[in-house]
Amino acid sequence: MTTTTTTGLGEAPALSPKDFNSGLKPIWCPGCGDFGVLSGLYRALSTIGRPPHEIAFISGIGCSSRIPGYTTAYGFNSVHGRALPIAQGVKLSNPDLLVIVAGGDGDGFSIGGGHVAHAVRRNTDLTYIVMDNQVYGLTKGQLSPTAPKGLKTITSPFGSLEDPINPLLYVLAYGAGFVAQSTPADMPGMTSILEEAIRYPGFAFVNIQSPCVTFGQEEQQVRAQKTHMKPLASLGHDPSDLQKALELAGHYGTELYTGVFYRNPEPPLSYDRLIRLRQDEMAKQARPRAQILDAYLQK
Amino acid sequence: MNTTVDDLVLGMAGSGGDGVVSAGESLLGALSAEGYHAMMTKSFGPQIRGGESSCRVRVSTRRVLNPGGALDVAFALNWEDFFRFGAELTLSADTVLIHEEKAGPPPETLGARGIVPTQILSVPVTEITKQSAGTDKAKTSVVLGLISGWFGIPAESLKRGLRKKFLSKGEDVLAANDRALAAGIAYAEAHPLLKPRTLEKTTAPPGSKMLCDGNDMCAAGALFSGVQFFGGYPITPSTEIMQTLSKEIWKYGGVVLQAEDEIAGIGAALGASFAGRKAMTATSGPGMALKTEILGLASIAELPLVIVNVQRGGPSTGIPTKPEQADLYQAAFSAHGDVLRPILAPTCVADTFAITVEAFNVAEHYQTPVILLSDQEIAQRKETVDRIDTSKLVVEERLRPQGAELEPYLRFRKTESGISPLSQPGMAGGAYQGAGIEHNEKGEPSSSGVMHAQMNAKRFDKLAPLSKRKDLFEITGDLDAPLALVSWGSSAGVAREVLALARSRGVKAKLIVPYLVYPVAEEVYADFFASVRAGLVLELSHQGQLYRILRMYVDVPKGVRSLAQSGANPFRPAEVLEKLLEAAKGAGIR
Repeated sequence: MTTTTTTGLGEAPALSPKDFNSGLKPIWCPGCGDFGVLSGLYRALSTIGRPPHEIAFISGIGCSSRIPGYTTAYGFNSVHGRALPIAQGVKLSNPDLLVIVAGGDGDGFSIGGGHVAHAVRRNTDLTYIVMDNQVYGLTKGQLSPTAPKGLKTITSPFGSLEDPINPLLYVLAYGAGFVAQSTPADMPGMTSILEEAIRYPGFAFVNIQSPCVTFGQEEQQVRAQKTHMKPLASLGHDPSDLQKALELAGHYGTELYTGVFYRNPEPPLSYDRLIRLRQDEMAKQARPRAQILDAYLQK
Repeated sequence: MNTTVDDLVLGMAGSGGDGVVSAGESLLGALSAEGYHAMMTKSFGPQIRGGESSCRVRVSTRRVLNPGGALDVAFALNWEDFFRFGAELTLSADTVLIHEEKAGPPPETLGARGIVPTQILSVPVTEITKQSAGTDKAKTSVVLGLISGWFGIPAESLKRGLRKKFLSKGEDVLAANDRALAAGIAYAEAHPLLKPRTLEKTTAPPGSKMLCDGNDMCAAGALFSGVQFFGGYPITPSTEIMQTLSKEIWKYGGVVLQAEDEIAGIGAALGASFAGRKAMTATSGPGMALKTEILGLASIAELPLVIVNVQRGGPSTGIPTKPEQADLYQAAFSAHGDVLRPILAPTCVADTFAITVEAFNVAEHYQTPVILLSDQEIAQRKETVDRIDTSKLVVEERLRPQGAELEPYLRFRKTESGISPLSQPGMAGGAYQGAGIEHNEKGEPSSSGVMHAQMNAKRFDKLAPLSKRKDLFEITGDLDAPLALVSWGSSAGVAREVLALARSRGVKAKLIVPYLVYPVAEEVYADFFASVRAGLVLELSHQGQLYRILRMYVDVPKGVRSLAQSGANPFRPAEVLEKLLEAAKGAGIR
């Protein structure tokens, strides 16, 4: 139900999680962690208060990349691994939009891995949510770039010989201003992290350990996560401490830390804001359409 | 006796620091400012930076169609570099050969090449520079002064050009170059030529000519169309499009994103189009290969996008600095699934502007990716272009939903034209899911064969009116002729000259040049070929790609043959004419 509340800025409709639910039935397996992420996202978005039509939700390919379609926002379920470049095109074209990017570990850190570093260093104001399950679920159980060494899958039947990528260290190393991890095993925590990430005025990364009930390992299921997850707050971690954040992130794969690893206490102006400043500064040099070619006239 | 000429070809060569290319550019700028027609081509040694370089400038009171033959004036700053460019800087007995005194008299190799110019002038260029400017860094200005003094090229324009060029270097440098220019002119006046030759005054008003290359006109056409996003990755010979837009686009509220790779470049551009902005990318063949997956996404998501491919020699790295027209198959057929992507092609520097505007119009109108196939020859040749009348050019905007179309909004609504109103994030009531997955009218995923067939039909049918557009073809010559030429892109320039040559000999012939290369406009060609019994399809590709694509769709008369050769081998009009006449003879045309 949509109700109206009075804010200092005038009448604005208050939004409820339902306002973001498209009603389309997800294709996910029953018990999939992505259901939790979706519901956390509905709640986070209702708190943010931007109406669905001002949100662009961009994804690649994979089970989790189907997520935009289950929201009432504008969505673009694009091609495998290219959500970040597409999302940057959207945000830089219209910085007034709230732009969220989502996908899986394969989409983000394997086929699309080359784009992550550049999205981070540009610091476009995007929220990038990776639903990390260490397996390729949509194609039925192949090895993923975050899968632990030794894991047996249908494409590594004798055990993987490769070390996994560490998504947390990866984005921290390139200078991301907001890096967090959570799990649907902690719905209130995940919801508030998503909200915080969306509010962060720059590139924000949230790794969600979202279990695959069909092809995932036993210890990564919600029940197991509940017993071994460790909230960073309970360790007394200060999210403005980058060195400590790097150290803690190094334990990806062995420890399930939840919460904010790093939040830049003084966020610099994001890329889209800098671009807008440049555009404003140069706008007075624009020529009328009919005079564009005059620049080439020889006088 | 002083002769007045209406056409002059100058060539210069020197080593890296001599600034011959810079001198050529100054000369070209001054000539075009005066209203002359001019064209400049450059050649470099194998090491592009710091090595030897040469340039040719052709100037005329009439339109310049090609770089010309043997030089009228040759300038050698040292002999070694000069002879490295023997193929570009050909001499005749009539050439005025000027050399730097310090380089010594012409070596015997000059005579060994068979032709020795009758006028050879030794000029102490370095000495004059040092004496006038107080430094040897203004050699270029002395050379320009000599050319101005001897051949009647207005000194005022040269001076203005040099002042513009050195503006940021401070008053001392400006003054030094002024003195060097004046010293060059004074030397020339004190040492008249044996057979003086002066360039005829042009009647064209000063300031009536543009000086540009095809990449300039592509960037300008995009700005004229209202482009607001460029995403791309540097690649020869397309990079100048991104460079120009990097200077300009911000003024118009737009963005250039130099992406991390070719895929991200087109991805970001498609994102911008999804967000409602006019967007483009530019590349060459290898980059095009990388962009292919997202081209498919643009087609199924029905989003407008302009993709420029400035063709070069291929495959792979091939010959990045020379033209070829062998990416036509790639543009037409490098698709997964059933896809039709319009391909447009400019044929010269000037028409690149209007064809780029057309590419944006087609993309926006039909909500489709459009491939603009230019090539290195057009893209990087700098020449004077008459002022383009832009008052009749139309700029189209995409169809956006309004009123009842938003209640409810169906992104892929079936309409009579097949074109569905397209919303964009931020538009209330217009939210939808764009996707690479097949979908129903609402945009929801569908794996139904019936739906797939309907959507394929929609995506093809909406483009049907395009191939009926006769204005995207140039048909010239004798319309009932049995002899025909077909050509596209930069080769069309040669075909035009061959047509004129043939008709000047009383041979009835005609020419068709498609600006819309694909889809093949079957009816337009059927009409054109109705009277034809023989002819040539002229293109720079080993396989004859246009010829073969035409045969896929059109009953090309048996006597029409392919005249195709690999890129980097310019066609010679006289040879093409011979082949055309042979084809006519073979078909019994007299």
